[in-house]
Amino acid sequence: MLRVEHLTKSFGGVKATRDVSIDFPAGSLTAIIGPNGAGKTTFFNLISGHIRPDGGKVIFDGRDILGLSSLQTVRRGIGRAFQVASLFPSLTVREAMAAAVTSHRGGSWNILARFPAVHLRDRVDEILELMDLAPKHSVLSRNLSHGDQKLLDIALAMATEPKVLLLDEPTAGMGPDERWRMISKVHRLWEAKRMTVLFIEHDMDIVFKIAQRIHVLKYGAVLAQGTPDEIRRNPEVIEAYLGTDHRLAEAVAAQQSGTSV
Amino acid sequence: MNLEALTACLGSGSCAVTQLSTGLIIGMLLFLVASGLSLIFGVLGVINFAHGAFYMLGAYFALTAYQATDSFLAAMAAGGLGVALVGILFERLIISRVYGRDVLMQLLVCYAVILILDDAVKMVLGAEYQMMGMPEVFAGAPIEIAGGFVPGYYLFMLGVSALAGLALWFGINRTRLGKIVQALAINPQMVGSLGINTTLLYAGIFATGSLLAGLAGALAAPIRSLTPGMGLSILIESFIVTVIGGMGSIPGALIAALLIGFTRSFGAIGFPLFVDGAMFALMALVLVLKPSGLLGTRAAT
Amino acid sequence: MRPVLRDGLLALLLLLVLLAVPVLFPQPALRDFLIYVIAYGLLAMSLNLLVGLTGLVSFGHAAYFASGAYGFGLLMQSGAVSVPAAMLLTVGGTALLAFVIGAICVRLKDIYFAFITLAFQMFIHSVILTWISLTGGDQGLRGGIPRPRFLGIDLTDAMTLYVFCAVVFVACIVVMRQVSQSPFGYTLRLIRDNPARANFLGVDVPRMKLCVFVLAGAMASVGGIVLALFVSGAYPEFGFWTTSGEAIFMIMLGGTQLFLGPLIGALLLQTLNHFVTAYTEYHGMVLGLVILAITLGLRRGIADFVYEQMTDRAVRRSAARLDAGAAPTGSHAPGSIKDEVA
Repeated sequence: MLRVEHLTKSFGGVKATRDVSIDFPAGSLTAIIGPNGAGKTTFFNLISGHIRPDGGKVIFDGRDILGLSSLQTVRRGIGRAFQVASLFPSLTVREAMAAAVTSHRGGSWNILARFPAVHLRDRVDEILELMDLAPKHSVLSRNLSHGDQKLLDIALAMATEPKVLLLDEPTAGMGPDERWRMISKVHRLWEAKRMTVLFIEHDMDIVFKIAQRIHVLKYGAVLAQGTPDEIRRNPEVIEAYLGTDHRLAEAVAAQQSGTSV
Repeated sequence: MNLEALTACLGSGSCAVTQLSTGLIIGMLLFLVASGLSLIFGVLGVINFAHGAFYMLGAYFALTAYQATDSFLAAMAAGGLGVALVGILFERLIISRVYGRDVLMQLLVCYAVILILDDAVKMVLGAEYQMMGMPEVFAGAPIEIAGGFVPGYYLFMLGVSALAGLALWFGINRTRLGKIVQALAINPQMVGSLGINTTLLYAGIFATGSLLAGLAGALAAPIRSLTPGMGLSILIESFIVTVIGGMGSIPGALIAALLIGFTRSFGAIGFPLFVDGAMFALMALVLVLKPSGLLGTRAAT
Repeated sequence: MRPVLRDGLLALLLLLVLLAVPVLFPQPALRDFLIYVIAYGLLAMSLNLLVGLTGLVSFGHAAYFASGAYGFGLLMQSGAVSVPAAMLLTVGGTALLAFVIGAICVRLKDIYFAFITLAFQMFIHSVILTWISLTGGDQGLRGGIPRPRFLGIDLTDAMTLYVFCAVVFVACIVVMRQVSQSPFGYTLRLIRDNPARANFLGVDVPRMKLCVFVLAGAMASVGGIVLALFVSGAYPEFGFWTTSGEAIFMIMLGGTQLFLGPLIGALLLQTLNHFVTAYTEYHGMVLGLVILAITLGLRRGIADFVYEQMTDRAVRRSAARLDAGAAPTGSHAPGSIKDEVA
């Protein structure tokens, strides 16, 4: 469904993305992890058309989408939720969703009808149910709790009926309980829709529990990729996260293999 | 359009010199006002729509002081410092409440102050045109330069405004205070957390900007007739200058101001009906081609 | 009640009020006052399509007001067209003007958009001042505006003129209301709140901005037509930046979020001007102090303020009800949720 080949991007002298090649099969649930500054958000920006790569290809649904604007990638089917929820503060949840769905269905130029169009209500309700936002449908977006704002952020991305969904740190800013609630909703969403989902995440427990595959980025390049088990045992990954304090790394490795120090 | 007259003037030594000098002083006055505007916008992020009113106040303060003391120096001081004081009051009492608020709020607040100041001047000094007249010291014969005649006062104005411009440039780029001000423009919170009194700085910046406008008004007083509405046209023109030169850029304001000044002076001969139109067309052109202005620093699209 | 029906009834009510007032209070001064409110109300309401609905702050909206007045005046003076035809041509011509200007302006953001709209307006103003043979220069359109009969309507009668203007006014309000409550209107709200995200939801932001810019210009020109009809002339002040400034002030005074806020602001401003000029020649000072009180004190328009007070009370009441009746929600122990997943 989505494949990137030899993607590179530099900002001035900083190589934010270095020769990244990854294949994301249709319907997969993949986690992108890595220490801060590893270029994860830049990677998403390159895929969604927010910035242009210096080199490489992005192949989506069989077609090269290099050079397309972010507007065009959305129309092709790439949806995105953001690290900091990007909402419409003065609109209620329902209004924002209805407007998003209206825009996707091509109705945003309609001056003659009244908003919201009746025939879109089912779609709006469906997404709100999926994201557990239905009880809050009349709340102003700016009055939502942080967690609900992140949910609305994802719901808005869902309005564009994406084939690929990019979630940039969906659990950012949440406490442990809320994080599990959020990620279980993401998981349920994925299972219901069978879209290709990529998510950036920092909580390792969540990543290892949920993701089918994990790609680890460090300094813009792919450090490792594989199943959660493979990644968990990968010494380079351990080193990337815990640094080169050998005793600590040894302790972790020992713990992984079942022996104690 | 009268392009033959224009080319004739450019060819003739005396006409060219006259128009050049006129354009220069129009430009330099504009430069003073516009650099104050640019300074306030560059550092405080506020567009001071009331800036023209400060120019007007400077002229009236100078007039009053001159009539009271017969001293030109007092007039200059009253114009500059008096308006600086007004600027501080304006900043502390009113502008500080609309920092970070949207432009409409700032516009409205400044519009209100313009209305109030215009009427206040009308109340105290009357709405009729007033003249300050040329001080004794400059009332001599005009000086001959390169075949044309330039009033001595023009040279004085050029000198003072050039000095002010240099002082401003030097202050910002070569002093420690200037570095702090530059930092303030980029990251006010950081500057604040370094223990520097940002409130004082903000007031100071506003005072400096208003001082420049007031000084320009005081300089203009001997050669223009005073009326409460005189702030209006200088406001529009200084906006055009800051847009063309670039908001936040002092050198840009200089270039743009001179450009406008010469457009005015030579335009009065060549295309008198289209001078205003030409200025706005220039502004529109810059906004379309390079919205941040010739030397501006803030992005626009 | 369905929204369309409700809005229709409210429009009818507005029209009835407008028609009843000069009947109940027959002073011609009141009727004149109301026509000013109508003309400037249209200017302010149309500007709010840009400011309040789309987040586009234009400093140069009076250009289209002036275009309406001068266009209509010139067409009527030519003697070649009837009143309705002149109105349609003027609105169409202004729409074209707004299209050309808007196409250049909407590419710019925020304060630069404001400046370039101002630049275009002042350019048009200087054209009005200098093209004396066409516009009469700073004296305004000379010779008055003829009002030939059309469809049996004689606009030389003051009351007929008033009724005609009131009907046209309410029709325009209905149009603007429909636009505001349509899918197009809500897409504009998306653009106002978060243009980047709107873009990322597939919205063509520049094209939409241009469309509403043209619409707003067309509506403003109707205001200019009304004023030109009433004063039987057109003056350069119609296109001066102070007129644009007053329009913005009317919006802020009344409120940007309530649909009729700008109209309320126009009414308040006209009332203020009327009373203040009656008592003192320093109405600028009074106006300035009022503006300061509202912007620094209330921090939002009067209508918005009142509306918010009322809705706040309603929200607080319903929140209290929710608290009283809601069942306590327990939180899951961390372990159990984790086990639900995967």
